Amino acid sequence: MVPTRLRALLLPPLLALAVAACASASSSSPVASLPAVSPTEPAAAYPLTLIDDAGRRVVIPADPERIVSLAPSNTEIVCALGACGQLVGVTDFDDYPAQVADVADVVIGGSVDVEQVVAAQPQLILAAGNELIPTTIIDQLTSLGFPVLSLYPNSLDDVYDDILLVGAAIHEPTAAAELVASMQLRAEAVGAAVTGAERPRVFYEVGLFEGTIYTAGEDSFIASLITIAGGEPITGDAVSTAIQLEDLIDADPQLILLGDAAYDASVTPGVVAARVGWGEMTAVSTGQIVVMLDDLLVTRPGPRVVDGLEALARAIHPGLVD
Amino acid sequence: MRAVATATSPRISIGPSLTRTAIVLGGGALLLATALVVAVAVGSVGVGIGDTLAVLGHRLLGLPLGRTLSPGAEQIIFDVRLPRVLTAMLVGGGLALAGTVFQALLRNPMADPYIIGTAAGASLGAIAALMAPILVPALVIGSGSSWLGLGVVQVMAFVGGLGSVLLVYAISRANGRVPVVTLLLTGYAVSSVLAAGAALLMFFSGQRLGAIFGWLMGSLASARWLNLAFAAPLLAVSGILLVVRWGRLNALLLGDGPAAHLGVDVEREKLVLTMLATLATSTVVAISGTIGFVGLVVPHVLRLATGPDHRLLLPASILYGAALLALADLGARLAGGIPVGIVTALLGAPFFLWLLRRSRRTGAGASA
Repeated sequence: MVPTRLRALLLPPLLALAVAACASASSSSPVASLPAVSPTEPAAAYPLTLIDDAGRRVVIPADPERIVSLAPSNTEIVCALGACGQLVGVTDFDDYPAQVADVADVVIGGSVDVEQVVAAQPQLILAAGNELIPTTIIDQLTSLGFPVLSLYPNSLDDVYDDILLVGAAIHEPTAAAELVASMQLRAEAVGAAVTGAERPRVFYEVGLFEGTIYTAGEDSFIASLITIAGGEPITGDAVSTAIQLEDLIDADPQLILLGDAAYDASVTPGVVAARVGWGEMTAVSTGQIVVMLDDLLVTRPGPRVVDGLEALARAIHPGLVD
Repeated sequence: MRAVATATSPRISIGPSLTRTAIVLGGGALLLATALVVAVAVGSVGVGIGDTLAVLGHRLLGLPLGRTLSPGAEQIIFDVRLPRVLTAMLVGGGLALAGTVFQALLRNPMADPYIIGTAAGASLGAIAALMAPILVPALVIGSGSSWLGLGVVQVMAFVGGLGSVLLVYAISRANGRVPVVTLLLTGYAVSSVLAAGAALLMFFSGQRLGAIFGWLMGSLASARWLNLAFAAPLLAVSGILLVVRWGRLNALLLGDGPAAHLGVDVEREKLVLTMLATLATSTVVAISGTIGFVGLVVPHVLRLATGPDHRLLLPASILYGAALLALADLGARLAGGIPVGIVTALLGAPFFLWLLRRSRRTGAGASA
């Protein structure tokens, strides 16, 4: 694939820089996915030391009564563990569960209002990794004395680990273990239902901007869901999540799922079929283009991600999963 | 001296009048002090002016607090706003000073602090740092994200900015001389290569594009005491060493030849001035990203108002650049955290246009 080759060419000259940058440090690792210190045991007495998804060692001094969530998925995890009432700050993008609408917004338009976070005096801040919340802001909040856990899952298993990590941090290990167990049960049911069925090549369209096609990245969280739901994900570059049209035609999807159609009514199966070059694909000639109205559930790594998984399985194997 | 200055003799050889000096520098100091108080007292969380002054008096002067504050108020004033306002002042003052120096040194009105490679080099450094964990995941070795408490991004931006100018200077040098035009063109070419590298990295940056974009636009949002402790000494040293070189800058304005006749060691001074201004710029870029406009326009505005004598121009650019960026950042904060560069350009550029037209109508102002 062209982007990967280019990236390989790019690596050697940058190696020296990157080595220097990493020598003592990392901001957030895409492969981190380190779970809680001992997620399966009941939370130890505070102060509690946990390792977050960015590999940072975070000390939580006391059972947090005031929690700030800087990402909608984190909010959903906290609420699913029964701690919704402890939230004192969320993002303006938060929409689930409905009661978080009453909580103050400390992230507006994607940028963190540090003053509002400080005014909320949280005892725990749940951030998002991979620069969704800039490392500089995480460093700043940390230096102000707030414990910041950064979450960034790359697979469904990572989501389980994140839920257990939050459960440990807020002293709800049992609720977290039960939630994960119920999610695993449903995910296994999906896996069992599609076992033995033919695995179609699935292309999940995240978006198309200025001619660049964005999809699930290699080894990404969305790709892992498609695999479990009984499909072979056609992935883009691991970092940019983009795929070139000729690579997509070459991969020849048998099913096209339109995640972007959930937000943009102008994206329809008809429009996609009429795009230049797309007519070559098996999915287009057989009419296998499906609108994914549940895109939010597929792309938001919280407790409802199993709903997204089931929606994916229904789209990939209609009739096999209810 | 006051009497002489009223004559029509060339300003280049005669200092500005004491009155004008007092008005310009006194006004600048007053503006800066006002900006400091207002910018610390106002923010997205309402803290009363009485509480603000009480916190400052308590933490800076050791006075008893003597009142009960709302939770977080002390931290917001002293650990969030004050370092941010002081950072804005250091950055604004540093950029305006470096811009003044580069415009004189390169005898080019379009020169800004970034012109010979600082911005492109610092950007490449910062972007590489932001993407390092993706590019070389195997090298990510656990916790912590700082060198000496500074973020890797800051360190890489500093090194990138400084390194690219050293490279430009080395390439431009021939037979012990560095012609200004060669320096400008080399700076442009090297910047292009570095910018292409940065753009290539950005193309593969995926979800990190937002963070990279935010850095490129320039932001004071993550200002901390720690960053100030790194930047303040470097800026103080480079600032003082630049201001005391006002006479040599005045001479260089005449051209390399005339400056040499006036007894200036031209090549040595050019190297020293370039490196000092680059040190100031790289330091500033490391803690704020690339904030535009201030370094280009503040020197021009002041030159229109005070004339081209660097004895007054250099200290004035520090004061007014500092006050301007502190107030612009206040505007940026109140507008919901938009990049400060947008505010400086949106409000500053029309003001500059107005000043430019006015000065051309009245014939005032000298070399802008």
